[in-house]
Amino acid sequence: MNPYLAVAALLLMVSLMFMLPLIPALVELRRKSDALPLSVVQQNAGEIRHFANSFRDCIKGLAPTLQRCVAGGTTVTGTLADGEEYVVLGRADEPLLHALGQRDAVHPLVITAGVDLTIPAGVTLSKEIYAGGQFIGGEKNNYRAILGEKNIHLGASTHVTRWVHAVGEFTSDPGCRLNGRISSDALIRLRTDCSFLRLNAPRIEIGSAAPIENATAPNSLLPTSGSSAPSKRVFHDGDFEVQAGEIIRGDIVVRGNLRVRSGARICGSVKSTKDLLLDDGASVGGSLISARKMRIGPNCAVHGPVVAERELAIAAGTRCGTLEHPTTVSSPRIEVAEGVVVFGTLWAREQGQVVASQ
Amino acid sequence: MIYALFIIVFIICIYTGRHYWFTLNRLFGFQRHPYIDIDTADWPPVTVLVAAHNEEKVIANILDALMTVKYPEDQMLVIPVNDRSTDRTREIIDKFVQDFPGRIQPFHRIGGKGGKAAALKDAMELVNTEVILIFDADYIPGAGLIKQLVAPFFDLEVGGVMGRVVPLNAGTNLLTRLLDLERSGGYQVDQQARMNLRLVPQHGGTVAGARLSALREIGGWNENSLTEDTDLTYRLLLNGWKTVYQNRSECYEEVPEVWPVRIKQIMRWAKGHNQAMMTYGLRLLLGKNHATLRERIDGTLLLGVYAMAPLTLVGWALALGVFYQGAAPLHGVIALLSLTAYAALGNLAAFFEIAAAARLDGTRKRISLLPFLILGFAVSIISVSRAAFSQVSDLVTGAEFHWDKTERFRKVL
Repeated sequence: MNPYLAVAALLLMVSLMFMLPLIPALVELRRKSDALPLSVVQQNAGEIRHFANSFRDCIKGLAPTLQRCVAGGTTVTGTLADGEEYVVLGRADEPLLHALGQRDAVHPLVITAGVDLTIPAGVTLSKEIYAGGQFIGGEKNNYRAILGEKNIHLGASTHVTRWVHAVGEFTSDPGCRLNGRISSDALIRLRTDCSFLRLNAPRIEIGSAAPIENATAPNSLLPTSGSSAPSKRVFHDGDFEVQAGEIIRGDIVVRGNLRVRSGARICGSVKSTKDLLLDDGASVGGSLISARKMRIGPNCAVHGPVVAERELAIAAGTRCGTLEHPTTVSSPRIEVAEGVVVFGTLWAREQGQVVASQ
Repeated sequence: MIYALFIIVFIICIYTGRHYWFTLNRLFGFQRHPYIDIDTADWPPVTVLVAAHNEEKVIANILDALMTVKYPEDQMLVIPVNDRSTDRTREIIDKFVQDFPGRIQPFHRIGGKGGKAAALKDAMELVNTEVILIFDADYIPGAGLIKQLVAPFFDLEVGGVMGRVVPLNAGTNLLTRLLDLERSGGYQVDQQARMNLRLVPQHGGTVAGARLSALREIGGWNENSLTEDTDLTYRLLLNGWKTVYQNRSECYEEVPEVWPVRIKQIMRWAKGHNQAMMTYGLRLLLGKNHATLRERIDGTLLLGVYAMAPLTLVGWALALGVFYQGAAPLHGVIALLSLTAYAALGNLAAFFEIAAAARLDGTRKRISLLPFLILGFAVSIISVSRAAFSQVSDLVTGAEFHWDKTERFRKVL
């Protein structure tokens, strides 16, 4: 073989092999099939009511139909613009409720009701529900999403897969599984054995009787977390304890485990880089943050946001935030006892569980 | 010669391992987003500084966006820091001040030292809130971004916050598409892995926040720094403050659309980074400070990233020298195996990181452009090396650095 030809062939082959991975690159560069900027949420601020608001907008067009149905006591069925079938109830429609009453039946309908709605036990409603009046659900039901203009009550062992928003109060009986977003403009009350992920309301009560009036007095002497003037930050390297009844005026950063003994008050924020334990009746005027596990209570008061990076357990009688100053309680796993009140958001990224008060 | 080559190879291997560690952590490790769920709180007063120097093309976009964010209006003040602009920037800002009374307080700077750090330093006289957020003028914050960037400051250890930067003009040309991939790898994997592993996420100086008391404690903005963000990261770290990264706090930016602008940008970054390395490297690694051991190690490695380019060039030269010298660096088989192992894994480390980022971002086709990153790599290694060598020559000749503003490409409104 001609040596020049061999060299040329070698160079050509090497060049082709080098070019091979560039072929899909050149095709993509020319076609621009994935050239849009990455999607960044610009308008939605992660608002918990986002889906409820979107659903309300979606069924806005049904408002005249709903009014006619309520006035005439009739029922109308149809199809929404997105192809979903719907039924509009002007009254507690007996045939429909009878059909719903068939246990384990799945009903793929968007239900829009202008009146109080009582759902029998053991049914699965795989589409969104709008209730213009009270919503009362039976036991062991499965819902995708509910928007209620008044109160919503879910029966025992109900399962919600996406979201619920109540303009009035939201209450659930024991054993409910509340996945997704649960919000109320007034109050959320969960009973024992309920599991949850994200809750938001001006007031979230865990259990039947939250002994709020008997809990530790509000931190009237404590500055709020929103104060613009920073307080002095004190470092402690290694484990640290705040003694029972001690009052600390300032912020504490502990690079280790922290224990705040009974009745101690910290007039500032607290950070622990390991575990954090608040004993009976302790209170914190600012935020409370642990890089690992946190245990609060019983009967504690925390004014600012509560964040535990691993786990959080809150015992009975504890209050987080106030009605005037709502806050966020957040951790991947949260165990919250009956008798706890949170004003604002209670957010368990992986698992939230209501447990009986000990 | 051979021992110098061994040292360089060893350092390169450390950085290779670091790339893999970060990528695997991001794919399979525990992901830390501790503050992102804080959506209800007593939101503190905040000042938003918008650094602007001849920004008539973009300033209206960011002011528009800031006026519609979901943060209590009475708790947020926007200060556009108009740094000696000679275009219509002042006029546009003043129009917004009229349209939104009480919500925007302009700071028109007409003299003084050039550069963002110097401008921010002067603007601090107007700031009296504990939380400060900083944006460059070409950014477009979303509705929830301010709350997300403020939330970490409820943690007392946090002195600085950094959000994620996403190119808005990603699809313009090959350069913007490559920068889009690079940004993805840098933020989605590199920064978040450092956050996960409690290392040193870097303050980026935009889509970012700082705590006023921390800033005062460390002596404010360093106007002599070429990259005030890197400088801030290290001074905070040395003084016991953490910088945290919020991967879900995303904000659109505009990336350079032509190579000369990109080259100038990366050269400035390289010089600033190297400047920080010389200033803080030894103090961080060996000095008495508040950083943990892992922060010291990672922080030092982070300071060295821009030194790797000239080091690699020197390594290549040394390798050629060793080859023509006829010296066998290791026993033949070991050398061959090492070379093969490095060719299979080492060279792919940075690409692996970017590919993982694209997967995490849920994109598909854009990863086809990965081979073109060789081009970006070639330009970077030469530009960064040029920057390093010119920095050394500037040191000898005493020449001062000339600040180059990054050119904007958006159309004037």
